[in-house]
Amino acid sequence: MSTPIIEIKNLTKSFGSNLVLEDFSTTIQKGEVVGIIGPSGSGKSTLLRCINFLEIADSGSISIAGEEVKVDGKGGHSVPALKIAQLRTKVGMVFQQFNLFPHLTAIENIIAGPKYVLKEDQKEREQKARNLLEMVGLSEKMDHFPEELSGGQQQRVAIARALAMNPEVMLFDEATSALDPEIVGEVLGVMRKLVDDGMTMLVVTHEMGFVRQVADRVIFMDEGKIVEEGPPSQLFDNPKHPRTKDFLSAILSHTE
Amino acid sequence: MLFNIDNAYSALGVLSLGLLMTIFLTIICGATSLVAGVFVALAKMSKRRWLRAITGSYVTIVRSTPLLVQLIFIYYALPFVGIRLNPLSAAYIGLSLNVTAYLSEVYRGGIEAVSKGQHDAAAALGMKSSVAMRRVIFPQALRTLIPTLGNYIVSLFKDTSLASVVTIQELMFKGQIIAAQNYDYMTIYAMVFLLYLAVGYPSIRFVTYLEKRMKNGYAVKKASKRKVGVAL
Repeated sequence: MSTPIIEIKNLTKSFGSNLVLEDFSTTIQKGEVVGIIGPSGSGKSTLLRCINFLEIADSGSISIAGEEVKVDGKGGHSVPALKIAQLRTKVGMVFQQFNLFPHLTAIENIIAGPKYVLKEDQKEREQKARNLLEMVGLSEKMDHFPEELSGGQQQRVAIARALAMNPEVMLFDEATSALDPEIVGEVLGVMRKLVDDGMTMLVVTHEMGFVRQVADRVIFMDEGKIVEEGPPSQLFDNPKHPRTKDFLSAILSHTE
Repeated sequence: MLFNIDNAYSALGVLSLGLLMTIFLTIICGATSLVAGVFVALAKMSKRRWLRAITGSYVTIVRSTPLLVQLIFIYYALPFVGIRLNPLSAAYIGLSLNVTAYLSEVYRGGIEAVSKGQHDAAAALGMKSSVAMRRVIFPQALRTLIPTLGNYIVSLFKDTSLASVVTIQELMFKGQIIAAQNYDYMTIYAMVFLLYLAVGYPSIRFVTYLEKRMKNGYAVKKASKRKVGVAL
């Protein structure tokens, strides 16, 4: 009964002589929340960027909602750029640095995708943007430019902007890492709402508490490979691999 | 007396006509270059190698040679290969080709300075690269470039004086004609000087004002943007 939204097969990517992803395969089911953890430089962010085709892998394939895209081996993808753009509309992405459009107000940022890509009519896209702003708790900031918003507020607008495309899956690339500690909670709160709504999510993060609470499955990555994966209770309380144990004890010792 | 009021007064009408021609040239060449510069910049960043090669050589040639020589070549040399241009066309084409080349470099620098994150965010929303350029990258680049572009237009205003060599009757040329008649170089060229200053000085003040405004960020224009949906 499970429907795969994303299927990654044998993905390999290196930057120069640095192997970032090594023969990486996994499948994300509809409605699944997957936490991806691991030391920095373990390939987590590169994995997300490959899934959204922002980075072109060296070999392997990625299927989004059943449509397979291979790497053509010449620095490109097996499907035309227009198809890539279309597949990206199904995948929402939230960046560590927010990347809001600075020349547009909060609501204009949210409307941009529906307007220029989905070509929704004005009433529909504005209503949707207002609803999304309300959902992230920023209705009163809709006419503010990003520069007038705090980091946490910017990231909440960025989440709303991604959701405005009606994505089938959301990718979070260290969405809270650039935020002050006291702000992290407001962004995690919005992400939790998405989990409750049944959104399929891939979350790269260092917030172990959040992953433990919301994830259905946790993947521990190191050196471009899955070292260990499983439900949070198993991975956090009973890690099997020594590298997982080392990583978790290092992380937990400095957060507690 | 060095400065002869009567000579100045009687020259004023003719010099004003010259100033109008100077302003006219500035406007048509400026408008052409501001638009054409964008396309040359995009062509220089194109994936097509031949397009990059053509626009690249054009910009390099223009930047490596004096504007005065370019104008003289277009007006006096091209007729030998059958391209005969009237003075106004020669001046228009020469000045526009020149300024377009410089502005294309300005635009290219501005476009390349927009952060990679903005490209990523636009792409992640499923924007085609042409849509991303038009709606996300270029508007941000343009904003930072406005003062620089303004400076180039002020330069163009001054450089139109070179069009006198292709017999355009702009301010400088009118001055030369009158001075050759009454030999009152001091008065006539002082007038020419002052007329350039009368337009040039407010222009550079305006560019300085724009520069300051740009530094204030996006929120300053908010008052006029308060109504949602106006801009989108």
